[in-house]
Amino acid sequence: MTIDQQHIASAFDRDLEGLQALIVRMGGLVEDQILKGAQALTDRDAELAEEVRNKDAAVDALEEQINDEAGRVIALRQPVSTDLRVLLSVLKIAASLERIGDYAKNIAKRTSVLAEMRPISGADAALRRMAREVQLMLKDMLDAYVRRDADLAEAVRLRDEDVDQMYNALFREFLTFMMEDPRNITACMHLHFIAKNVERMGDLATNMAEQVIYLVTGEMPGHARPKGDQTAFMAAGDQED
Amino acid sequence: MYDVQSHTEQALQQHDIKISSRNVQVYYGDTQALRDVDIDIEDKTVTAFIGPSGCGKSTFLRCLNRMNDTIDIARVEGTILLDGEDIYDRNLDPVQLRARVGMVFQKPNPFPKSIYDNVAYGPKIHGMARNKADLDEIVERALRRAALWDEAKDRLQAPGTSLSGGQQQRLCIARAVATEPEVLLMDEPCSALDPIATAQVEELIDELRQSYSVVIVTHSMQQAARVSQKTAFFHLGYLVEYDETGKIFTNPEDDRTESYISGRIG
Repeated sequence: MTIDQQHIASAFDRDLEGLQALIVRMGGLVEDQILKGAQALTDRDAELAEEVRNKDAAVDALEEQINDEAGRVIALRQPVSTDLRVLLSVLKIAASLERIGDYAKNIAKRTSVLAEMRPISGADAALRRMAREVQLMLKDMLDAYVRRDADLAEAVRLRDEDVDQMYNALFREFLTFMMEDPRNITACMHLHFIAKNVERMGDLATNMAEQVIYLVTGEMPGHARPKGDQTAFMAAGDQED
Repeated sequence: MYDVQSHTEQALQQHDIKISSRNVQVYYGDTQALRDVDIDIEDKTVTAFIGPSGCGKSTFLRCLNRMNDTIDIARVEGTILLDGEDIYDRNLDPVQLRARVGMVFQKPNPFPKSIYDNVAYGPKIHGMARNKADLDEIVERALRRAALWDEAKDRLQAPGTSLSGGQQQRLCIARAVATEPEVLLMDEPCSALDPIATAQVEELIDELRQSYSVVIVTHSMQQAARVSQKTAFFHLGYLVEYDETGKIFTNPEDDRTESYISGRIG
């Protein structure tokens, strides 16, 4: 349930709106970090990678600001019901965004190493597609958050399966490249970590979408969502299904 | 999915129904103050009534021990059962009923008597003590229950009005529990108290819940959230929503409840 009415204490409304504006700003920044990280990887652009690494401090600072202000609102306003859920979701979403920011930074770090190695054919483009998909999930999640749209959040939640599938495919590819030529191992290990990081970003976007559903409905989505990551069961030499 | 049990202290346990009201209407002259109130109040539970001024919550509280009988123009319809017994039965003595259903008011109102006599008054008129020793014991037990014994034991003959506001309110609670009631009604018992005295009374309410069914009317939403296990929200004479307190304050069903508890215009 959502209530459009305003609080009698209008400063409370301003506090809540301010916090949500910070989340949107942080979300936009993190989206940007993902895209730039992926671009730096495909272009082997060390300068852009460096920019992404430095920008992570801004993401962390936003999270800290959100935590401080949310704590303050909780202490001063004793929020209940929808207001309380807004604050809980603000805290959780900020923590997830911060984590995604860390993964983006890690991609940038590995990019500087990978720039010195010979490319693995097709891997960069596939990783970039995967990162693009996760960035879109994040964007839709933030739209769902701002619009209090539980249906859109549910759609985002289900899209994580696609990201998992992309990760499975890449996992197999990297295994193949490494078996073909051991000189590929270093690059493939780095690329695999990047793929895993992007896959984790998808999981976090899913968690945030669940927070949006909780915010709107008051309940966490109960039914299990399809899980696509099969790599825990894969070994080198497994045949393709 | 795992079945996760709530570990917060206020998690609800199912208790027997102590008071059951059906289809209760209350009129003051031509004005209808309460409409169609159906509620089951549980034993050994603190139930909070919340709602804006004039919503009928105090009126309903006063129905539960027939305090509305004292208002000439008040008329109560419907049934209210205490342990299955109709409290508006013609043969039931309201004075006996009020010994079973005690009440504590908004402002501490000790009798102009000593601390001892304030507490001993009820047990005396209900013939609960055979001798002075009995009575002493009852007074001590009641004062202990009200967490006032340590502060009052050396000055039992001092006038009740010589106590501080918070102590006076605990004296009134001692007076109410001295007759061993089954239900304790409290009409904004902390509204005249400072935060420390409020905390003491709230702690006391939580202890009283072991033995009684406690019903508290409060304007402080935070107080309702702190002390009660179940909360009833009244609005314009209707009982809008009645549920576990945790549910009311995290995810109420009704928009009117949501608006009220979160301080919105509504």
